Parts: sequence; C-alpha cells; structure tokens
Amino acid sequence: MSRTVKSQPTILDVLKTFFFEEQVPFGAALARIFLPLMALIPMLMRFPRVRELYTTDGTPIQMFELFGQGEVLPVLAPGPAVMLYSLMVFCLVSSSIGWNTRFSLATGVTLYTYFNLLDAVGTMTKYSVIASHLMLLLTVSSCGNVWSVDEFLRRRRNPNSTFASRAAPVWPARLMQLLFAFIYFGAAITKIQTAAFFSGEQMRYWMLSNWNYENPIGELMAMWAPLLLVAAYVTCVWEIVFAFLVWHRRARFVMLGVGATFHIMTCVTLGLYVFPSICLSGYLCFARPEDIVAVRRWFRNQSFSLPFSRLALPQPPRWMPSAAAWSMVACLFAVTSIEAELRMDIFGTRRPEGMMELTEIDPEVAKERIYSEQPLREKDKVFSFHLGTASVGGQVANRRTEFEHGELLLAECNLNPPHEDMWVECSLQDEHQHQISSFGQFVTREMLRAHFTYQIDERIAPGSYFLVLHSAGEEIARRPFSVTRDETSVANAPGVYGN
Amino acid sequence: MTRASRWGAGLFIGCYLMILSAGIIGHTLKVGLARNALSYFVVWDMFCGWQAYDQRLHFIAETSDGRYFDVSEPWGAFEPFGDVGRVHYDFSSRMLSKHIDHIVSHTAHDPFDCVYIVQECWPKQHNLPDSMWEKNFCGPRDKVSYYHLRAICDTQGVVMNLYPDWYQQQKLSSIADNPRVRHQARQSHSSFGVMYNPSTGSHSSHGPGLGDGLDFQAATN
Repeated sequence: MSRTVKSQPTILDVLKTFFFEEQVPFGAALARIFLPLMALIPMLMRFPRVRELYTTDGTPIQMFELFGQGEVLPVLAPGPAVMLYSLMVFCLVSSSIGWNTRFSLATGVTLYTYFNLLDAVGTMTKYSVIASHLMLLLTVSSCGNVWSVDEFLRRRRNPNSTFASRAAPVWPARLMQLLFAFIYFGAAITKIQTAAFFSGEQMRYWMLSNWNYENPIGELMAMWAPLLLVAAYVTCVWEIVFAFLVWHRRARFVMLGVGATFHIMTCVTLGLYVFPSICLSGYLCFARPEDIVAVRRWFRNQSFSLPFSRLALPQPPRWMPSAAAWSMVACLFAVTSIEAELRMDIFGTRRPEGMMELTEIDPEVAKERIYSEQPLREKDKVFSFHLGTASVGGQVANRRTEFEHGELLLAECNLNPPHEDMWVECSLQDEHQHQISSFGQFVTREMLRAHFTYQIDERIAPGSYFLVLHSAGEEIARRPFSVTRDETSVANAPGVYGN
Repeated sequence: MTRASRWGAGLFIGCYLMILSAGIIGHTLKVGLARNALSYFVVWDMFCGWQAYDQRLHFIAETSDGRYFDVSEPWGAFEPFGDVGRVHYDFSSRMLSKHIDHIVSHTAHDPFDCVYIVQECWPKQHNLPDSMWEKNFCGPRDKVSYYHLRAICDTQGVVMNLYPDWYQQQKLSSIADNPRVRHQARQSHSSFGVMYNPSTGSHSSHGPGLGDGLDFQAATN
C-alpha cells in the first residue's frame, strides 16, 4: 500500500513566503498615494509659521530637549529652513503622485522627521511618528511600480510591460502591517497600565478636554461612564487580538473594520482629525492584489465610467529627463516659498509703523491673577451627582428622577482627582426641605466615586423628594426625584417617612 | 531578487522588528527608555493620562512703575491642534523662557522688571456646553478659575523662581491634609554630606561632614 508523504513547510519556509512572496504592490501604492497627503495637511497648516516654529528666529523646542539631551539637531536660519520646509512639502506631493518616487519619499521622510523633532510642543505627536515609520517603509518598497508618474513614464518607454512584470517582494508592506500590530499591542499595554482607563474616568476627562478639535459626541459620551467602560474593554481586547487575527483571510476584514470604526470614532469623540487620517491611509497597505481585482471587477460591472478614463494624457517631451524636471520644479517651489515667507513678515518687524505692541492689562486683574491663591472649593472636588437604579461596572448606568416602591435608588457621586480624604454625606429631604434621613461615608484620596443606596419602600410615601450631597458641611449638589406608589403594594405601612 | 538584496532585506527586517520589540518590552517593563528622545519613536503610549482640571497659561509682565502687560503674541498665537495656543501644550515648561524672550524681543514696549507666569485651572465639567450642563447638572453653572503662580522670569525669560504647578500643589495639599504625616514631616531633617570620604571613613576638614549637611526643609522654609 503506497502512501504519499506530504512534506510540511518549515518555519523558515513560512517566513520566506510571508516576507518574500512576489506581488504587485497595490497596497503599498495606495498607501503611497494617500499617506503623504494626510501627513502634509498639518504641515501645510504650519507653513506660514515656519519662522516661528523651526528657525533661529523663533521658539523651536526639540524633542531631545524634553528628554534632557539638549539641542541635538541644528536649528537653521529662516531662509534655509523655509527652503527645506518647502522642499519637504514638494517631496510629499511628488511622493503621492509617484514622481521620482523613492527619492521623493526618502527626502520627504527625512525632512518631515527633522521638522517634527524640531518642534516637540506644537508639531511632534504620535501620528507624526506613525507617518515617519510608514513613509520610511514606503521608501524601501516598490510602491512606485503602479499608479505613478514613474510607471507612466516607464510604460511610454516600454509599452509592452504588464502588471505582472511590476511584482516585487512583499516585505515592506508586511513591515507596515506588523507596525500596526506593534502599535496596537503597545497601546493595549499602556491602557492595561492605566487603571483609570478601565473605569472610564480617563476617557471622560479626555473627551471633556478642548485640546483637540471639536468633539460634540465625545462631550455627550463623557457623561455616560458605563458606555466608556464597555468601550475601554472592547478597545483593549481588539488591540491585543489585532496582531494575531489580522493575517487571517476572513478575520482580516473584521479586524480592519473594527479598526477603521475605532479611528473614525476618535475623530468624533476626541476631536482627532489627522491621527485617524494617517492610520486609515496606512491601513491601505493591507490590501491584497485579489482585493484590487475584485474592486476592479465590481467597477467594470457597473454601467458608469470614470470621467477621465478616456482622457488623453499629455505626452512629455522625450528629451526631458524626469529627475531634471523634478529638480527644476522643486527649486522653483523652494525659491517662491522663501520670497512668500519674507513678504508675509509674520512678526510685523518690517512694518512702516514699527514693531507690534503688547496689550496692557488692568492692574487689578493682573494682581488678582498673580497673587490670588484661592483654595479649591468643595463643589469643585465633585464632578457629578446622579441618581439611578441600575449599575454597570459599579457605576450608575441609567438616570432616573422617578422611582417606584420596591426599587433600589442608587446615588452616585463622582469626584475629581486629586482630593484629600473626605467625609461625604447624602441626605434625603422632602419637598419642604425637611431632612428625613442622612448618612455619610469616608471617601479616601484614591477613590473616584462614592455610592449611597436607598431602598424605596413603604416607609417613603409617594411624593417629591430631594437627595442632597454635602461635603465639609457644604451643600454640593441637590437632585430632585419623585416616588410613586406601586399599586400592588400595601399602602401606608407603619413607619412611613416624610410628607 | 538577488541573493545579496535578499540578505539586505532580511537584515533590515530583523533590525526593524528588533527595534519595535525593544520599544514594547522597554515600555512594558519601564527599562532602558528614559532620557532618550528616540524612544518616542518606538513607544506607543498614546493614552498616558488626562487630568480632571483644564488649564491655560498667562504671561504677565510688570514694569517698574506698576503697569502690567499681557506677554502674548500680538501677531496671533499659533494653534497647532485646535483652538488652543501652542504655548499651552508645553506641559514640561521647557518653552517658557524661549516664549518670553521671543515675544519681548519682537515687540515694542516699556522696559519690564519681570514676567509672571500664572496658571489658570478649572474643573473640566465646565467645558460642557450650556445645553448639556442644564441636562446633566441641576442648577446654574458656577465656574471659578483658580490662578496659581507657576514661575517668575526676567525679561530674557530666564526662570528666577519656579513653583510646583497647580495640579501638583493640589496633590501635595491632599497628602498634607493629614496631621500625623504633617507632624512627621516637620520632625524629619534631610541631610546631604558632600565632604565624606568613604575610602578613609573620615570627614574632610574643609567642610561639613555626613550628618552636618543642609537641612532641605529648613532651606526651603
């Protein structure tokens, strides 16, 4: 009896296939088209302020200074700095269209990283780091092989070339994919080390911060801690499993779908605009050739055609070398930028009326700000005070103002850290503000909330009441609520409180 | 793909993955990343904590005749990530000196004696719009800003006095709000001997010995 022995691939074979399989680099090309443009958006916003942020005539604070290493990078005079900055802008644009792709990416990412490192306060963020990583990996990839000016010029020289001839080892795209796995795994570790993340407090305070752009949905969500708590666990679990499941053919779509949703949510809840744009551009490196084929097939099956599909592209003169043309345009752009920046005169030092003047402040206002050291009020130590009946993760999950006999009333007081050890009291008052009951509890400095529970039973007659929160003898918050009679219960049992 | 280029690619892949792994391990175990700016490129701590109070900085210059000026960019502050000026993102206070020097040297004004840096803080629930405030907090909004002197600088921006920031001050106050701890802190005497020679076990005759050093508490008082 003969038996066919099928040899199992070794780990080395698997790794070779994983990193060195040859594919047409559609994914890397898509990332190349979108990522530099997304990275360019914040840099264009800074273009009028190059003198202030990155030159000897401004206030650059290098990343190295924040780490106590001093000024490691050279800080240039405004003229050369503006020239290099405009060269960076041009390189990012030419990377996106794939013109002198590798050189543009190499120059662009070098200058992009340099300028980000120069301004650690107002430019460098984690999205800059992610963009630098991705652009570095695009530089060593063959992302210019498809959908690029370089490819267009190459096809002019060799009209018989096919897509298959542009296949290249897939390892740069694999490293980009692995980068995301590392980022999410590292972010999960950070969250695990931040205890307040899993109770929702950290997200709440982030959503209420106005350090980023508008985030109205975030402000709404910030008041619902249980929602943040659930989101915290989902995020952390997804960040950990991403590295293991994103390679699976089907799970990949789930992982990337959740990731895209997560990044879009950071846009509306935290006011982050550039960060999700860069991450979603980077996600394009996960596209496989078969995905592109499927999308193309879908487009072909539609009855519409792109308006520019039949457009005759202009033919560049054959004698013009691409690199020389690129250099000429880059120089022209740089010189124009230097002139434009000079004319802007951002600090107004060359105005005919002289330098700008500082605004005088009312001495009373100035003295009040300088010398007033007002102690923290008791009411500012408390974030909120809510009533409800259900809890999730130890936090009130619903807001109620009406209760029936038989229900458990939960009163939750959220505190703003830091606070000292406190004694917090909660008193039940009737509609005429006569105190019915009162009890308190210690809230030690590490506690972020205190709970008071009331069994709404026959001892509390139907009517209107208040729950009043006190700290250090001061009234902090007052919440009205009403009790209605449960028709099935026995009315007016002995020992009825109030009214 | 030639053999050499495959080896080169393999080397690049190996080094790159090792660097990323070092970032994760270093960040998880808190080793080997301190005082190295490049670690920022391999550590993914995008979520590193948010405070319960919002803050802004005010730079107030004082002249010898008792007039006060707002030391802020008359050409308009650069707002990098929203509608908050760049200097307010300087949580490490590294930019204070350069910021003052830059504005003072690029504007016309009377001579200043010094520049006060004042921190303004308020609880973050007051960032909610009015409609949400009414829905979530019964009663009118009663916002108070707390002002706290953070530093005093000369007109070149050189820091002459630097104080703990308001948030740190609140933490210290919350800990000091304990009579026993306060009493024990008063009893302690920190010392720092600079002239002790461990090889001979003797004190130098040129200065104070171990135990005779500076009393930091007294010094700071």
